Amino acid sequence: MLHLKPYNLLVQKTLTEALEAYNNGSPLTLDRIISDFDYTTLHITNDGTDKSNLLVSIRTKATQSCNESGNDLQGFLQAKFDEVPGLALSSAKKEAGYDFTITVDLSQITAQSIVQASLFKILVMSYPFYLAFGQSNALSQLNEIDQVEKSKEARAMVIKYRDDENIYIKPSFDRITVIFETIFQDETDKVFGKVFLQEFVDARKRNRSIQSAPQVLFSHEPPLEIQEVAQQHAHVAGAKKSTRRFITFVLFPRHYSSDELMFTSVSQLALFRNYFHYHIKCAKAYMHSRMRYRVDTFIKVLNRAKLDEETESDSRRTITGRKMVY
Amino acid sequence: MSYLNNPAVVMDNGTGLTKLGFAGNDSPSWVFPTAIATAQSGKSQSSSNKSTGFGSSSANAQSSYLSGGGNSTSATDFNSLASSTLISNNLAGKRGTEDLDFYIGNEALVASQGPSYSLSYPIRHGQVENWDHMERFWENSIFKYLRTEPEDHFFLLTEPPLNPPENRQQVAEIFFESFNCAGLYIAVQAVLALAASWTSSKVTDRSLTGTVIDSGDGVTHVIPVAEGYVIGSAIKNIPIAGRDITLFIQSLLRERGEQDASLRTAERIKQEYCYVCPDIVKEFNKFDRDSEKFAQFIVENKERTTKKVVDVGYERFLAPEIFFNPEIASSDFLTPLPVVVDETIQACPIDVRKGLYNNIVLSGGSTMFKDFGRRLQRDLKGIVNDRISQSEKLSGTRSTGVDVSVISHKRQRNAVWFGGSLLAQTGEFKSYCHTKQDYEEYGPDIVRNFSLFNMI
Ligand SMILES: Nc1ncnc2c1ncn2[C@@H]1O[C@H](COP(=O)(O)OP(=O)(O)OP(=O)(O)O)[C@@H](O)[C@H]1O
Ligand SMILES: [Mg+2]
Repeated sequence: MLHLKPYNLLVQKTLTEALEAYNNGSPLTLDRIISDFDYTTLHITNDGTDKSNLLVSIRTKATQSCNESGNDLQGFLQAKFDEVPGLALSSAKKEAGYDFTITVDLSQITAQSIVQASLFKILVMSYPFYLAFGQSNALSQLNEIDQVEKSKEARAMVIKYRDDENIYIKPSFDRITVIFETIFQDETDKVFGKVFLQEFVDARKRNRSIQSAPQVLFSHEPPLEIQEVAQQHAHVAGAKKSTRRFITFVLFPRHYSSDELMFTSVSQLALFRNYFHYHIKCAKAYMHSRMRYRVDTFIKVLNRAKLDEETESDSRRTITGRKMVY
Repeated sequence: MSYLNNPAVVMDNGTGLTKLGFAGNDSPSWVFPTAIATAQSGKSQSSSNKSTGFGSSSANAQSSYLSGGGNSTSATDFNSLASSTLISNNLAGKRGTEDLDFYIGNEALVASQGPSYSLSYPIRHGQVENWDHMERFWENSIFKYLRTEPEDHFFLLTEPPLNPPENRQQVAEIFFESFNCAGLYIAVQAVLALAASWTSSKVTDRSLTGTVIDSGDGVTHVIPVAEGYVIGSAIKNIPIAGRDITLFIQSLLRERGEQDASLRTAERIKQEYCYVCPDIVKEFNKFDRDSEKFAQFIVENKERTTKKVVDVGYERFLAPEIFFNPEIASSDFLTPLPVVVDETIQACPIDVRKGLYNNIVLSGGSTMFKDFGRRLQRDLKGIVNDRISQSEKLSGTRSTGVDVSVISHKRQRNAVWFGGSLLAQTGEFKSYCHTKQDYEEYGPDIVRNFSLFNMI
């Protein structure tokens, strides 16, 4: 239960139902709003009166900043959706108020295309990651001196996926550094978060079997890699500085050496914050259940300490001290 | 703040089914049983090894999470490895993490068939009984199924009529303290059901006055509502609802010795074949004359290898008849539904009675039987007309008559959820909610009162 799936279960379910209904000859009329993490809204509708086509639109906060890192998010998504049958990114049908719209051709789609469509949000967020993979690979081809020099010049990309929280991605010839800047809105969360992150950092040291996992660091100050970029966002930081935290993941080439690995790395990183907060909530729920349990046992103790409510009037005694029985 | 653009989350947790979704949609995104399967204590170790990938201790989970990037192939078997090699002086090693090992909804039903999980229903008769389970149920439904960050959304929850304020306070504690949700509104199910009836073409004015008959899985309520306020003193409940009907069908199947008399089969027969007839004697005769009325229901197992044929006979009309003639199934509750409805309305202040009679709204899964509304209207009209003619005779004056109208509509099944969705999509909704700031300022007491919605 702890793992959040990268794809949106609800989009998957809706499209599967739509496909089934279409195959049974009674296509659905759809107009659904679906939400996803980090200010993401998806909208599934029929394409006008044409029942064999659906439109899936997305609006997410990260779009703009993702696009800025390479300026061809559109092309990237297009390629991703062209990989599977029945899906196409359509700029002609782009719904007002949404960032992207894909058309889903129910007569052609397969289970795989449904999954791809339900990955919409992750795909948008993965664009800068894939750029970074590309850049890192390119840098590693250079000769040794250039590698170091050019890596220093490489720009850190920013995904502004929430109001005050960002992801920074900095490619280098032998690694990619992914840094999460997070802010806690709630005091209790901050405490839980700290314990949790410390465990997260320590788990790798303690446990030999996960040495292949990316290294995790945790700090209060912006790490050196992103100091310049983070400066630009310093205005936000002003008031909330004390609650800012930086979590750094260091990816080595073995984490992005094949397409499959790239995808798992990206989808797990893109979900990291949600996973993290989910965990804090689970921890709190656990605390609450312990507290309820405690209160119950205290109440039991109190109940045991209660005096019998026998008063003189209803237990009269005879002169010899025996209880009177009526 | 940008959460203002996010759709509100509407959750209706019923005894039997939970309805989840986003405001503005016309049907809930998820409908699944309000059930949770938790790891049985003592067996949890073995189960966490078996349940693939759901690493249970927080350290395990992190490690499998982390390694996903590196060696994505072995996240599962390595998990069991990790749990045995955990060095005991870390936090997670010290105690079990059974609390994280659970499933909800349909997954829970599947998991509970195995030996290591036990199934429980945290809601009884509409009210939350087990807060630990409920908190985890919510946690999973929000993050896994709805995929929302509760901090970014407003929530509309529902409660049964006459829910004690302490329960409501508990809900607020969970939603604000555990989940930090942005804002919360807790609405009475009956009021939402009234709002849902506005979609019916029979309803001309959008008032919040009417009698709601909410029949779900565990209990049936008859609730009079006047201008959005529930008339608490007049509420009546009937201990007959969906589950009893299912059990009744099951007992008939058993008596006849059908091949398959499981609860599941009985439930499906109920939903697919049952209807309300105008008169049982005539209906019996019809069945005897016309064998086409009998139906056959085919049960297939998962692999579609074996087929069992179950005959469906008189239970088609007999089962829903329990509402109108309870004596056929129960021995301790004997008042027919139309009589209860009439008594309820008669117990209300005289000036609202007319409004209550002519807006009787059905809601909940167990009112879905065909012609349920029609029969109710006919019987109730009979009772009312008898009374009117009697009083006319006694007083010698003519009455202006009372208009009885029972409203059924398309959204009846999830009426409560749909009403919630309607209300929560309006612009004003957020101003009626209590926000996290309010909660922190005043404490859980604030949820004892919610200002009422007056939508036009
Ligand atoms: N088409 C149908 N015909 C008859 N019964 C149905 C139909 N669909 C669902 N039901 C029954 O309705 C019940 C569930 O209804 P509903 O979801 O309204 O209950 P609930 O909200 O979970 O419970 P409650 O309101 O009592 O807390 C189940 O018993 C189910 O078998
Ligand atoms: Mg209900």
